Parts: sequence; structure tokens; C-alpha cells
Amino acid sequence: MIEIKHLRKEFEDTTPLKDVNAVINSGDIIAVIGPSGTGKSTLLRCINMLETPTSGQIIVDGQVINDGKCDLNEVRKKMGMVFQSFNLFGHLTVIENIMNPQITLLGRSRQEAYDKAMDLLSKVGLSSKALAYPDELSGGQQQRIAIARTLAMDPEIILFDEPTSALDPSMIGEVQSIIRMIAKTGRTMMIVTHEMDFARKISNRVWYMDEGGIYEEGTPKQIFEEPRQYNTKKFIQRLSTLSYRIESDEFDFEPVIDELQEYAEKLLIENERTSKLQLALEEICVNNLFELHSNPNIFVQIDYSEKSDVLSLELKYAGEHFDPRDSDNELFNTILAEPTTTLVDEEIINSPKWYNNHTKISFRWEDQ
Amino acid sequence: MKKNTKRLSSLLLALLMTAAVLFGAAVPVFAEQAPTKNGITSIEELNGKNLGVQTGVLYEDHIKDDLEDETWYYYKMPNDMIPALESNKIDAYLIEEVGFYAQRFEHPELVRLEEAVGVSDFAVIVGNNDKQERLFSELQQFIADSRENGWLEKLYDYWVINWNPNTCKIEERPELTGGNGTIHVAIEGGYEPFSFESNGEFSGYDVEFMLNFAAKYGYDCEFHAMEFDSIAPAVIAGKYDFGMNIVVDEERAEASVLTDPYYSCDIVFVLEGETGGEAHFLDGIKDSFYKTFVKEDRWKLFAQGIGTTLLITVLSVAFGTIFGFATYMACRHGNKLANRAMNVFDGFIHGIPTVVFLMILSFVIFANSSHITAISILGFTLIFGCSMFDMLKVGNNAVHRGQAEAAKALGYSDTQSFFRILLPQAAQHFLPIYKNDVISLIKETSVVGYIAVMDLTKMGDLVRSRTYQAFFSLIAVAIVYFILEWVLVSLVTRVQIKIDPKRRSREKILEGIREVE
Repeated sequence: MIEIKHLRKEFEDTTPLKDVNAVINSGDIIAVIGPSGTGKSTLLRCINMLETPTSGQIIVDGQVINDGKCDLNEVRKKMGMVFQSFNLFGHLTVIENIMNPQITLLGRSRQEAYDKAMDLLSKVGLSSKALAYPDELSGGQQQRIAIARTLAMDPEIILFDEPTSALDPSMIGEVQSIIRMIAKTGRTMMIVTHEMDFARKISNRVWYMDEGGIYEEGTPKQIFEEPRQYNTKKFIQRLSTLSYRIESDEFDFEPVIDELQEYAEKLLIENERTSKLQLALEEICVNNLFELHSNPNIFVQIDYSEKSDVLSLELKYAGEHFDPRDSDNELFNTILAEPTTTLVDEEIINSPKWYNNHTKISFRWEDQ
Repeated sequence: MKKNTKRLSSLLLALLMTAAVLFGAAVPVFAEQAPTKNGITSIEELNGKNLGVQTGVLYEDHIKDDLEDETWYYYKMPNDMIPALESNKIDAYLIEEVGFYAQRFEHPELVRLEEAVGVSDFAVIVGNNDKQERLFSELQQFIADSRENGWLEKLYDYWVINWNPNTCKIEERPELTGGNGTIHVAIEGGYEPFSFESNGEFSGYDVEFMLNFAAKYGYDCEFHAMEFDSIAPAVIAGKYDFGMNIVVDEERAEASVLTDPYYSCDIVFVLEGETGGEAHFLDGIKDSFYKTFVKEDRWKLFAQGIGTTLLITVLSVAFGTIFGFATYMACRHGNKLANRAMNVFDGFIHGIPTVVFLMILSFVIFANSSHITAISILGFTLIFGCSMFDMLKVGNNAVHRGQAEAAKALGYSDTQSFFRILLPQAAQHFLPIYKNDVISLIKETSVVGYIAVMDLTKMGDLVRSRTYQAFFSLIAVAIVYFILEWVLVSLVTRVQIKIDPKRRSREKILEGIREVE
């Protein structure tokens, strides 16, 4: 249905896409994932020519669309796009946002367009907002309407450009469930997203983008569970683990804490557990290990297992041993004593990486 | 309905308050004609005083060296110096003897210093165009002949020495054949007894003089009234064939072609003397109203002026909007050449004062054209067009980029997206500015008198120069401007409300649709 050949896109200061080759078949649901700045959105925007490729070809239904000869407006009618920032037309009511493009571009009658719009509005659960203006609605509602507007054009493929990135966490769910609903109808879709769980469950193909192209492609199972390439592995692993190496007693913990907050938010870990972990990290490292070692060498790994719902802090370090139970911080001692906290503190013998101490503290939510 | 009444009454209140303030200030003109305070009887006593003179006549050059610490105030029209004198803004003013006789007829309280400052010769300046040589020699001949056969003296006696504004008129307008073409004569138009407006025609010494010249040499003759200080530049530029009442001095004689003097007279100082009895307040008002509007059907002048001002404003706004729109469409896609050209042009237009820009258009670029109203419409079209261009730019920049992108992604063509998505949203951003610009445009049109267009302000000036009274003509002009503004702004506001997408009713949005239950 869509073929991408040697696609290259240069901007003035960067070249996000160096050489992209891919085929999108009818019925595919492709999740595009990868670190920021690797050209995921740019690729999507090149497909419907919102960005003009520097070189290469994009072929839609056998027709090259970036040679300057093609009527792009006709091609775009076949491709819906859902934006990160919704982009509903601010001067039109919800119903007109969905009706007008049908009337203007597809030549439908007002009645036809209206019936179609009302049908879609009830599907996205917003019939009561037909006469509201976009600025009177929440982000999640706006995005659901933007999706309805796209669907009303009966596109062959829908391109989702980070459809939930601009939303409050509480509204992500409502939009995702609409997209899942569309997926079930067998429509071809391409979704750029940072929601890994969503990407994994909705797609039948995953493109991991890095180094200016599609770095690794596979089924969700392949990419998320058995990634083969180095960068993919690192990216997938990083999704569930945070790790740091502390090599100075002036180590700045602030970025760690920020990342931890973000991590916890993404994985829906309660604040209380995150704070406990943060306290433990600071108590052990700053208050004790930094005292014992003038040149510390500590490896920190924070890990959350969704399956067993355990958040854990793991420390490996060289030199003199510190037993967390010897801490004189009362609050820390209380946390350690809680039944939901597990402590492992051991000496490593014959470690290949010459760390000789290992401390692991795990936090469960409820005593099981 | 109720709201409208309220708005109207507050409008009336505002008008009344404005009138009251102006009225209060104007009362001394009618009632309290203060007797002379200063008792000045000689030129030396004017040292350190405030003195008035008309702009461009250069009378002050005769006396400047003999006075010390005096301050000069310059007035556009000679008659504007009377209220200035009476309100003590100036202690005395310089005027040619002739002007003084004319003024004294209406203001018997004025006195002159017997000691004259000097004598000025007055000549005709001949336009710098291809007819110059011929017209110059013909007029020179005409002046010489008329002096010899005594006609010039007779003319001077009638209009100047025996001046009476109630009876003096051109007894017999000579028949003009126009066989040799038309001559265009620049006159002040509000300057008794030389050129003034009377019963819808120009009359006076200058007018009769030129009409007779034209008749004798087979021309048709058209008069163009303008600010005194733009007569010489306009004629030198070749826009008009003759400019009347030019004071002869060396510098001028070198820079331009001047004829021999066609009259000479003393330059004198005028002061406020003993008042000629107190006029009754109400009588003063009645008389003033009569003179301003009724006498010689002067209301017609106001009507004509309103017509001209309205014509210039409305056409400039309309053409300017189109011009701004067209240039914006050309620059919209970042065409480098179009954008750079427009930036330079925009900067140029906005960078020079309106009146200078109009004078450049009229006296330099279109020096040979006599379609001055069209020239001023062109000028204001360009000025308003540039503002319109800026407004569209600002308005469209205020619309989020995503709007255009979403339209594009849906398959809207560039034009469809501009007119259906961007413009309706941009309009809500720039229409308030548009309204303000219409207001400033109306006000700015009041300078067109400089290029001889007879607009409302200029008509008010003409009437004022005949009535010697400022109150009614100024108030009338102010009120008319105010009403014009109000009408035009209400129109734009109506449009603004009409096209505001958020003010549409439910019925309008769902027009022609059968709703599902």
C-alpha cells in the first residue's frame, strides 16, 4: 500500500532520516518507537508530505507522491492524521470540525456529513458536545474529536503522531481506548508513541528507530522480549531499569530524582514507595558510604517488575562494607522494619567486576 | 432596544460635554471683548512681545533686525491671528494693509500702528512646465498694459480701498472661450479681499484679475484653493500654471519665475484697540450661526467637504484593504523578492509623515496631474494598504501553526485552507486594529488641504476665513468628523460581529439539517 525507498530528510542542522526503506501493507498496525530525536515524527510527516523529503521516494498505491507532479491534496484525503496537539479548528464547533472537511473535500451533503459526524461522536462518547467549541473541552475530549474528524474522511490509513503525549496522565486512557477500538476494525494505522505498553498491545509490527533509520523491526514480542540489536536492547532494558555509576562524593542526585519521578509516573508507581526508595538511596550513599569512602565507586540500579509489583534498589560497591541496619536514621530504620520491605545485604566473593558488596532493598506495596 | 437608547444617550452626553468645554472657552470672543491693555503706540515698544505673522509671507523679515527678544508665532490663515490677539496669545501681528482693512470691517476693535514696517510687492509665480515661457510673457504684458490703462488701479480701489464684504463682488464675469486651453491658478481661497469663496464661486481681486487675463488671451481658467504655504512649491513643481499673491523677495526671484508686481502695499502691525461696545451674548451666537451656515448658503460648503472627506476615506479604506490583501497573498509563502520589496515599501510609507507623503505624490510624482482627489485617494490607499498588510501578517501569525497543518493533512488545498480555516481566525485578531486604523485614517485625511483638496477641514477653514469667527465652523467640523468616525466604526463592528464564528446561533450552525433524536 505504501512503500518508502531510500528516504532521506535533512534539516538545516540535523539529518534525522538518513536512509529509510519500508513497506506498509494494508491492515498493518505499526508502532513506531525509539529515543527522542530519532526521526519518528519526521518519518510520519514525510509519509503525508507535511515535510518534503530531501531525497528518496514515497510510493502510495503505486504512485510516487514526492516527485512534485502528484496532486497531494488527493493523496492526503486517503491519509488521516492525528496530531499531538489535536489541532481542532478553533473557530468551528465540534460538529462543524467533523462535518466541514467532508462537505468541502468529499462533496458530501450537509445531512450526510451531519449523520456521519453524529455517529462518530457517539462512538467516541461525545455526542453531547456537538455544539461546543474546542477551547471548551479537555485535552482528552479534543483528541477524541480529532480522531472522529479523521475517521469521518474514511481514510485508508491513519497516522497518529504521539496522540497522547500532550495529555494529562488521567486522560491518556480514554484516548488509547478509542484507538484500540479503531484497531479492531482492521484499519491500517501507524502510531508514533512513547507509551510502550500501549505500543506493544495494539500493534502487529514494531519499528524501533535509531541512527537515522528503522534500526530494528519485528513483532511486538520480538522487539520487546527478544531484541537482537544492541541499541534496541539498551532502549528496551532502560524502559524498566534506571542505572547510575557514582564515582565522586560530589555526585549530583537531582537528575536521578527527576528521572525516578518520571519513571514512577510512567509505570504508575505510588509516590509513597518512590519516596521510600529515594530516602534509602540518599541515606546509604550520602550519609554513610560517602563517609567511608573518599573516592566512592558505587553502581546503582533501580528496577520495577510489573509482574510481581516490586520496586527495588540495588547497590554494588567496592571497599569497606556498610550494613544498612547500622544506620542511625530513625525514619530509615522504620522503613526497613516494615513488613513490605525486604533487605538483602551480602558480600560478593570473586566478583568479575571487583565489587565486593551487594545491597538490595525491595519495596512491595502490600504485604503478600 | 433599551441598550441602544442607553448608548445613544451616553453619546449625546459626551457630545454636550465636549461642546460645553469648547463653548466656555469661546465665550470671550463674543462678549468680553477686552479693551486694549498694552497701550503700545510704536514699533520699539514691541521688543520682547509675542508677535504673529502668517506662514510663508515673510513679512517678519522687514522688521526682525529692529526688534529684540520678540517671539514669532506663525499662523496658517491671516484671520486665525484675530482670535489669537483677542485671547492675548499674541500682542500684535503683522499683516499687509489690505488684509487689515478687510479684517477691520468685521472687527472694528482692531487698530494698526501708523508706522509701517515696510512695503511689499506682490507678484504672480509662473509654473515650471512647458507653458511657462509663453504664459510668463503674456502675463507680463497683461500687467504692463493694465497698469498703463489704469485698470489695475481701478481694481485695487474697488477691492482694497473701498472693500466691503457685503457688497463687493465680481460684477461681470468675463466670457472665457478656452480656445488656447485651460490655465490652472493656485490661490489661498480664504483670503479676503484677494480670493475667497462666495455663493459657491471664488471671488476677489486675484480672481477677477486672472479671469480678465484668461479672457484676453483666450484661456479657460480654473482656480485651486490650497494652504498658502503650498502655493509656491506646487507651482514651482509645475502642477499649476500660476500662483497668486507671492511676496517678492530676492531668494524667491532667483529660485522661480516671478512676474512684475501686480500690486504693492504697506506691511503694518495690528493691535487690539478700544472695543466697539459689548455684543450681546445670544445675538453674538445667532449672528455667528447665521454667518457660518446660512449666509451665502455656506452649509453647502460643509456638505461638499463632507462628501469629499467621505469619498477619500471610504475609497481609501476599500482600495487599501484590497491592496493590503493582494500584497499579503503575494508575500504569504515567503517569496523572498515580494517580501523584501514589501518590507522596504512598508517602511517607506510608514516612515514619512502623511502630509509630506501626499505632497511628494502631488508635487513630485504626479506633478502634471490635476486629479488631486484621486491622488489623495491613492496616497491613503497606499498608507492604509500597508497597515492592512501588517494586520494580516500579525493576525495570521497569531493563528496556531497546527491549524494550517491539520487542514493540509485533511486534504484542504492551500487556498481552501487560507480562506476557510486561517482567515476567519486571523480576522478576529486583526479587526480591532482595523477599526482603529479606520479612525486614524479619517482624521489623517484632514491634511489633504495641503494638496488643494477641498475636504471638510479645508471647507471649515474657508468659512472661518470669511466669518472671522472660529466657534461654529470648528465645532461643526469636529462634530461631523466624530459622526463619520462613529458611523464607519459601527459598520466595521457590525461586520466583526457578523463574521465572529462564536456568535452564531445554533440554528445557523445546523442550518438545513434534520437532527436525529
